Amino acid sequence: MSRTTFTPRRLAAATVTVALVVGAAACGPKADGGGSTGKDAAPRQGGTLTVLNQNPQDQFDPARLYTSGGGNVPSLVFRTLTTRNRTDGTAGTKVVPDLATDTGTPSEGATVWTYHLKDGLKFEDGSPITTADIKYGVERSFAPELSGGAPYLRDWLVGAANYQGPYKDGRGLDAIETPDEKTIVFRLNKPEGDFPYLATQTQFTPVPKAKDTGTKYQEHPVSSGPYQVVKNENDGVHLVLERNPNWSAATDDQRKAYPDTVDVQSGLDPAVINQRLTAGTGADAAAVTTDTNLGPSELAQVKDDKALAARVGTGRFGYVNYLAFNPKVKPFDDPKVRQAVAYAINRTSVVNAAGGSSLAEAATTYLPAQETFGYTPYDPFPAGATGNPEKARELLKEAGYPDGLTITLSHSTEAGKGYGPNLATAVQDGLKAAGITVRLDALEATRYSKTIHTVSTEPGLFLSGWGADWPSGGPFLAPIFDGRQIVTDGYNFNSAQLDDPSVNDEVDRINEITDHAEAAKRWGALDKRIGDQALTVPLFHPVYKRLSGKGVRNIVISDWTGVLDVSQVAVK
Amino acid sequence: MTRFLLRKAVGMVGVLLILSVIVYAVFYIAPGDPAQLACGEKCSPAQVLQVRERLGLDAPVHLQYAHFLQGVVAGRDFSAGTGLLHCPAPCLGISYRSGEQVTGMITARLPVTASLALGAMVLWLALGVGTGLLSALRRGRLSERLLTALTLAGNSVPVFVIGLVLLIVLCAQLQWLPFPSYVPLTEDPQQWFWGLLLPWVSLALIESAKYARLTRSSMLETLADDHIRTFRAYGVSERRLVTRHALRGALTPVIALTAMDLGTMFGSAVLTESLFGLPGLGKLLVTSVGLIDLPTVVGLTLVTGFSVVLANVIADVLYAVTDRRVVLT
Amino acid sequence: MAPQEPRTGVAPAASPAAGGRQVWRRLLARRAVLAAGLVIVLLALIAAAAPLLGAVEGQDPTSYHNDLLDSAAGGVPTGSLGGVSAEHWLGVEPGTGRDVFARLVHGARISLLVAVGATLVQVAIGVLLGLAAGLGSRLLDQLIGNTTEVMLALPSLVFAISLMAVVPSGFPRPLLLTLVIGLLGWAGTARLVRAQTLGLRQLDYVAAARLAGATRWRIARRELLPSLAAPVITYAAVLLPSNVIAEAGLSFLGVGVRPPTSSWGQMLSGATTWFRADPMYVLLPSALLFATVLAFTVVGDAVRTELDPRAAARLRVGTARGTAGPTADGPAPGTGTPGTGSPGPSGATEEATA
Repeated sequence: MSRTTFTPRRLAAATVTVALVVGAAACGPKADGGGSTGKDAAPRQGGTLTVLNQNPQDQFDPARLYTSGGGNVPSLVFRTLTTRNRTDGTAGTKVVPDLATDTGTPSEGATVWTYHLKDGLKFEDGSPITTADIKYGVERSFAPELSGGAPYLRDWLVGAANYQGPYKDGRGLDAIETPDEKTIVFRLNKPEGDFPYLATQTQFTPVPKAKDTGTKYQEHPVSSGPYQVVKNENDGVHLVLERNPNWSAATDDQRKAYPDTVDVQSGLDPAVINQRLTAGTGADAAAVTTDTNLGPSELAQVKDDKALAARVGTGRFGYVNYLAFNPKVKPFDDPKVRQAVAYAINRTSVVNAAGGSSLAEAATTYLPAQETFGYTPYDPFPAGATGNPEKARELLKEAGYPDGLTITLSHSTEAGKGYGPNLATAVQDGLKAAGITVRLDALEATRYSKTIHTVSTEPGLFLSGWGADWPSGGPFLAPIFDGRQIVTDGYNFNSAQLDDPSVNDEVDRINEITDHAEAAKRWGALDKRIGDQALTVPLFHPVYKRLSGKGVRNIVISDWTGVLDVSQVAVK
Repeated sequence: MTRFLLRKAVGMVGVLLILSVIVYAVFYIAPGDPAQLACGEKCSPAQVLQVRERLGLDAPVHLQYAHFLQGVVAGRDFSAGTGLLHCPAPCLGISYRSGEQVTGMITARLPVTASLALGAMVLWLALGVGTGLLSALRRGRLSERLLTALTLAGNSVPVFVIGLVLLIVLCAQLQWLPFPSYVPLTEDPQQWFWGLLLPWVSLALIESAKYARLTRSSMLETLADDHIRTFRAYGVSERRLVTRHALRGALTPVIALTAMDLGTMFGSAVLTESLFGLPGLGKLLVTSVGLIDLPTVVGLTLVTGFSVVLANVIADVLYAVTDRRVVLT
Repeated sequence: MAPQEPRTGVAPAASPAAGGRQVWRRLLARRAVLAAGLVIVLLALIAAAAPLLGAVEGQDPTSYHNDLLDSAAGGVPTGSLGGVSAEHWLGVEPGTGRDVFARLVHGARISLLVAVGATLVQVAIGVLLGLAAGLGSRLLDQLIGNTTEVMLALPSLVFAISLMAVVPSGFPRPLLLTLVIGLLGWAGTARLVRAQTLGLRQLDYVAAARLAGATRWRIARRELLPSLAAPVITYAAVLLPSNVIAEAGLSFLGVGVRPPTSSWGQMLSGATTWFRADPMYVLLPSALLFATVLAFTVVGDAVRTELDPRAAARLRVGTARGTAGPTADGPAPGTGTPGTGSPGPSGATEEATA
């Protein structure tokens, strides 16, 4: 879960997640909308693709990146054991082999995962990629100097909890075995059916130990993918990638790598990016963005421009914005009060505050509305489009508040985010009708994140959000509702501090399942069960609208990232 | 002169020290855990501890400040895993958020703010000094009106209001100018120019009023000076009088004011860059403050404080150089 | 810097009360000033009666009107001119449908309250410290002089942003804005008052009071303050409009008042992306802000002309040649020579206004 909640930092800093979060959108009409994306002719190789982004690739070390499915620009340079399926729509939520011959062979009840490498894999310098390089890549992600990646490896690998990385502890991790150059075995401390999804993250990128320069490695990471870094200016503000002569399409059926050169310019304002894509002058005609979606005001312009509208695509990324309760704080200890809030919520105001119906879909379920997460429709406290204040008042009366109630809602001061002032005032106005007076408590982004994630300071009611680290129900539900994930001396994401043995058991049992579809069904059922307790009020699932340049084709947006896949775009 | 500069240098260091102490104190008290910020939200408590140690955040605050000063003067080393990451002097530390060296972050964004400031300066000097001279040499309704209009604009409108109105008119309605955007001069001079024109105009409209008034009064005063009157009595042509003799004296205060304004330009840059989304120092400051990224904020404060103080000294020196009657003591 | 004669300036000319009524009459005789004065009175009335005005229109500043928005098009108001209608006189806000008229009149409160409050804080601190420096010991003078220097070198906007961001959220925002702008902008007043005090204390009647055994505090209160009134009011009139701009600037940067409270600067920061799709939403707060600052500036200018013609001349033309220029590296502490302390808005406030 890339809790994209409010983490402008690591996440934001870390590449692609941001892209996902800030706005995963895709260009071009989606395939199911007719598939008329490409111009008539088949895409060809050659040319220069320009990528216009907000967030500089200031982290370019595979150990430090926090990505879903390997990221966008990083995945042009880094190959991983497995990767996301580079196709449109739902098919794109599948995990497929990358460096490995398959998505992994589980044994001993999904606690041991074995991979074999394909033949003919090479780094950019022509040297062969071995499983020792992958083991080393994983190990160095444990070094405090290279922090930033997802926490799963530390949680899952046997004996990894206090491992400090190869710089301090040269013996390495025993949980990763490399019996030969082509085979790698991961030993986990519990069953994890989702391991193939984890193996898409950049921590599974091979790193040649001889070339490792610690924190300086990101200046020139050794490429295993179709492109290598030839220029990296100002800490990732301007990147130029050119073909890696030692990459072979024969070993990589996912990355199309049509353009000869990829020129990534970042540090740009979202308005600037969209203006440049709209105008499409010069090199901007062959431009895309991987981290910027159209904002509300820009949608208002697109409305009247058919030619422009044809260049706007829709993307979905598993994410939910919700109101979180802390049931340890009065009056939210009373389920009736929580239910009253759930009934009173005006989702039309909320959706409009989030950018309108093109950018947000009202949500009543915690899980995103996609099959791969195990989406099971439910609405235990039907509030309709604009809330049910009568029912809310009734519940409040039963709870002992016949004259209404005053509560405090905490939010971040960061504008334009799903936990910022716009959303907060929308919630505030909506609850007024039910006699609930909402006081707003605004905190700076960093302080907000610290406050709501620290058990001792967690407010009673706050805005939050959660995104998928990979398209599965597990990383969506477990961190938020599994009682064993309550962290009392650090960042805690189980905001309701729910510690229900039956929920915990069910999480464990589903994690044993290696059949994704089967597991998804169970996650969906679990979501519904938890939803009935009104520990959160789901508000909306964001939708992303993204514009691409006039001259690009072969636009692919998967539901895994909701982002235009930069490895598929052609400019010729 | 040397004594003057020495005294100024000591004063400058003093002011900067005080600035850094204040900012350090303010942000140190501010809640939020820098180590957690640097490590990432999902870091385990153990990892956060490791990061805290690496950044030297486990030391008491006065020691942290001492390390910071030491970095500025002599550079610092941070653990880079395989070896040490040397942050050469003047080292302003490592950003908690991105892990980049603050000095590097600032120098990377400096060209944006410098482009903004220098381009605007050229425009406001042209507009301001031009109007000022015009109204001093040829008094008439036109120049009076121009002066009044500039003065109203300069005194009554914040840069973001002028900028927004210009955006509506020049960019959305008339479509004469593209939406502002920064392209490095070295990459494409033409795009650099067009992309910054609107911000320049916005700033210039606000600043030029001061210059127009100053130029006018200074010119009038110079023309009334004894030596100019003497030249005139000798029959030197009016044109020659102005260009050869009066201009130099009249423009002295203008040059000094320019130096001052460039020094304080950063303040306007914060608002201008926020409005137009230009990735300069001002934008960096607003972002870093929101993230409570102490090293970056302290670094930016020092750099801006330095530029203000330096501009003061330069203005004083300029006076001495161009106007021999001023003696620096 | 060339040493100068102490500028005793204006003080004696503007012996209080006597000239007061005359000044008023002359001010009111000028049309532009009259118009500006009316604008200010009107603004003050609007601010005071904001809820009432909202009630007359039938709207409040925080209620959402989703039915007036085109949700699929990003929440742009339906209808022309940003959704102007009989119910919503100036249209509604994109994305929320909140009434623009109600938000504007409520915004006037923040703008005026904060600007006036901050000016009072600046003047109070400035006068106190200026008097203390002018009358106190050499050490005190030096201390205050140096502090003033540091304050003037402070990148005030940078500090204001930092302070606004760091103070706990429980602190009332309008008060915080007032204090932050006030505390960062007193240096110019202090410098002015010190210079004036040094000049005044040479005068016969002050010397006489001192000989008569009056304490410093008494001299300050009885003999100096009345004479300081004119230059200080003049200076405050310059500070006021720049404080309006400072508040707008901080709110524009998102560190000012907190939603759902409205302020013009905050409305403008929300409006920046809408300049194409809904220009009305940008122009309305812009126009109000412009009118307010302009009115204050015109009145301030006139007050200055009346109370302090010499300073006015100096200000209008910038800094006179021969003085150390606008940089005015200040009175050298302890020399007893008042510096050129240009009474224009200090560098600090100027910076925040730009």
